[in-house]
Amino acid sequence: MSDVRTPEPPKPPREPRRFRARDALLAIGVAALLLVMFEGPSIRRGGERMDDGFWKTVVLAVGKPADAFGDVVPLPEIGDELTSWLSPDDDLGGPGSLEASAQDTTPQAPAADGKVPPVTPDYFDPHALGDKAPEPRELDTVLVTGDSLAMPLDAEVARRLSAEGIEVVRDPQIGTGISKADIGDWRSISLRQAEKEEPDATVMFLGANEGFPMPKAGGGTVECCGVDWATEYASRARRMMDTYRQDGEARVYWLTLPAPRDEERQRVARVVNEGIAVAAQPFRAHIRVIDMVELFTPGGKYRDSLDIEGEETIVRESDGVHLNKEGARLAADRVLDALTDDFGLSE
Amino acid sequence: MLFPTVEFAIYFPIMLAISWALMSRLEWWKVFIVGASYLFYGTANWKFCLLLAGVTVGNHLFARAIAGTEDPRRRKQLVGTAVALDLAMLGVFKYYAFFVEDVDRVLDSTGLGLPLPLLTIALPVGISFFTFQAITYVVDTYRGHAEPAPLLDVAVYLSFFSHLVAGPIVRASEFLPQINTPRDPNNVAVGAGLFLIAVGLVKKVAVADFLAREVVDPVFAVPEAHSAVDVIFGVYAYAAQIYCDFSGYTDMAIGLALLLGIVFPQNFNRPYRSRSISEFWRRWHMTLSRFLRDYLYIPLGGNRGGRLATARNLLLTMLLGGLWHGAAWGFVVWGGVHGTALVVEHQFRGRKVPFPGWFKWLLTFHVVVLAWIVFRAADLDVAGQLLSQLGDWGPATLITWTTLLVVMLTIGFQLLPERETGELRLRVEQLHPAAMGAALAGVVALVAATVPTQGVPPFIYFAF
Repeated sequence: MSDVRTPEPPKPPREPRRFRARDALLAIGVAALLLVMFEGPSIRRGGERMDDGFWKTVVLAVGKPADAFGDVVPLPEIGDELTSWLSPDDDLGGPGSLEASAQDTTPQAPAADGKVPPVTPDYFDPHALGDKAPEPRELDTVLVTGDSLAMPLDAEVARRLSAEGIEVVRDPQIGTGISKADIGDWRSISLRQAEKEEPDATVMFLGANEGFPMPKAGGGTVECCGVDWATEYASRARRMMDTYRQDGEARVYWLTLPAPRDEERQRVARVVNEGIAVAAQPFRAHIRVIDMVELFTPGGKYRDSLDIEGEETIVRESDGVHLNKEGARLAADRVLDALTDDFGLSE
Repeated sequence: MLFPTVEFAIYFPIMLAISWALMSRLEWWKVFIVGASYLFYGTANWKFCLLLAGVTVGNHLFARAIAGTEDPRRRKQLVGTAVALDLAMLGVFKYYAFFVEDVDRVLDSTGLGLPLPLLTIALPVGISFFTFQAITYVVDTYRGHAEPAPLLDVAVYLSFFSHLVAGPIVRASEFLPQINTPRDPNNVAVGAGLFLIAVGLVKKVAVADFLAREVVDPVFAVPEAHSAVDVIFGVYAYAAQIYCDFSGYTDMAIGLALLLGIVFPQNFNRPYRSRSISEFWRRWHMTLSRFLRDYLYIPLGGNRGGRLATARNLLLTMLLGGLWHGAAWGFVVWGGVHGTALVVEHQFRGRKVPFPGWFKWLLTFHVVVLAWIVFRAADLDVAGQLLSQLGDWGPATLITWTTLLVVMLTIGFQLLPERETGELRLRVEQLHPAAMGAALAGVVALVAATVPTQGVPPFIYFAF
């Protein structure tokens, strides 16, 4: 008798295992508990970044005790150690941050010791004196940064300069603001950008997310938008300008804010623009403030469109804050004009 | 509210517990689900909830009116009005700015340059999805495929949080019967649900957002600054990104629904292994494909009117399908490319084509990838610039071992036999629920570590 074996029938495909509803609750509960234990500080930070409202309250109600638990049992530190290699961010914050180094902005009494801050040559724009500007270094790298306002300006500048063989580093930090350090501290960001890219020129368009209270030296906060807030804002902006100008070897092009549609935002924009103007005063030799108010919203009055070569053209996004592509082209024209003046680019 | 956020991680466990606690009291469960879903939706903007409620009530009234009359002409008028109103609402919210800017340009060019007001019309998240679901409800009622449901059921159907903002587009006839019988608490696909949530998270946050940040966004923002090699790689990377972004969202949506005992239809089935464009559309955004087929292509006449009429219907369906994605010419061109490819394929249907399988795959894949260029580019000028860069050979600056590996694995996994990936899922399902929970926490922690300071960007399809 031949040894013919009947082939085994193919195994039926395994059916997905079915569980009970309480298993679902157990699994999700375990996952939630572990995340609260290991990610407490992240949950708290996430809550602090949120806009005021119901969800901020809820997230902080979980995040604060979870963070406090992390102080007692250092599980978050262990988690951070294990996963830090995956982080796409550079290490920011710390003692060099804007928040940590709030300056004393109380009015000084110069007569008290007979000293006034010295005026230095950097206060003067050589062009304004009819003087020849010192030769800047060759333009190899341009950094275009800021918040969401810097988009699509960054792409437009990059597009135009790529033909010149100039490297354009586009690094907008969406959602950030000089007065809003929770997402990204601009002191740290500017230090990192200047160190990493060493840009010969920096184009800054920042201010869509301003108006937040800022800590001041000696404790407490200063609310927008009085002179104290403007003073703190200007002093923060000045430190950033000083970083980007790299001891006068580089140039900075800081764009003011065109008036937004919303009236409350208009107030903030006016104060921000004043802050930028004041901040730039000691560095007029290296920093140009490029006026977007006069270009897009003459007289500080909001408008959607401009007459461009005889045609009414929409230049703003429908949110009434950002520039659209046409608007970005106009802004880039001004930036390119300034770069051409300073670095002698081909027209 | 996005799925991969802290708010959602707090919201969902509470919702899950209450949902199962109320399961034996079905009416209470429905009220709870509507409330919880509106809370979920209202985090974007509470005003959008009013719109969703309006769509719900409006389509409910039309469906009842359709079912309440036997007169065919009256029924047709009612369904036509309901669909027209739904589409008009979609048009105002989604296409107003597109219309204004283009009409403004035309007026200018004819010397009638009075700029139309640029109104701030926020695009309600998910409007394209819940509008289409509302349309399926009234049309299915008209066709007799679905019974008009009570208002509360319609509200659950249209607002159910996990498919509200980006699908899958679930039909009323698939969803409503599920919510009218209590789900069996002893028969829940916990393993499959958790597996899908974990896979979806990895796809979205670790793959799609990574590729966007490192390769795709730089290339598509300034094509001129990149060499042909970078541009080509950027286009492949976008093919991987959009698949992981959208299918990642869908995986999470299906997984979350499974934990609540609701089953959604499949939306992706490894689309990049397709050997024809028609097969691609049977594997990519499958619930949209069948919507377009059943509610547009077949009513237009389908393939019943000869070759020419079929070609017209295919092209029209895909052009409108493209426009559904957004108010931009790039989407129309994208739909046109797919429509044209479908027409060409249809001409060869039934004939022996002497191409080997691998060649058909290669051709199909590259038609799809090329079409993604106009889909992703900010406008047609940028798409043109990107294509013109293909002649500019220079150094590759964006290709690293990591980005290359991620792109290759994303596309390569889809070419694996289905059984292999299904086996992995079944193995995970054998774990104890607590171990599954711990594994999910581990995946979330790893994925969260890859999120930059600025957080998780929205899903691509949230904009559609």
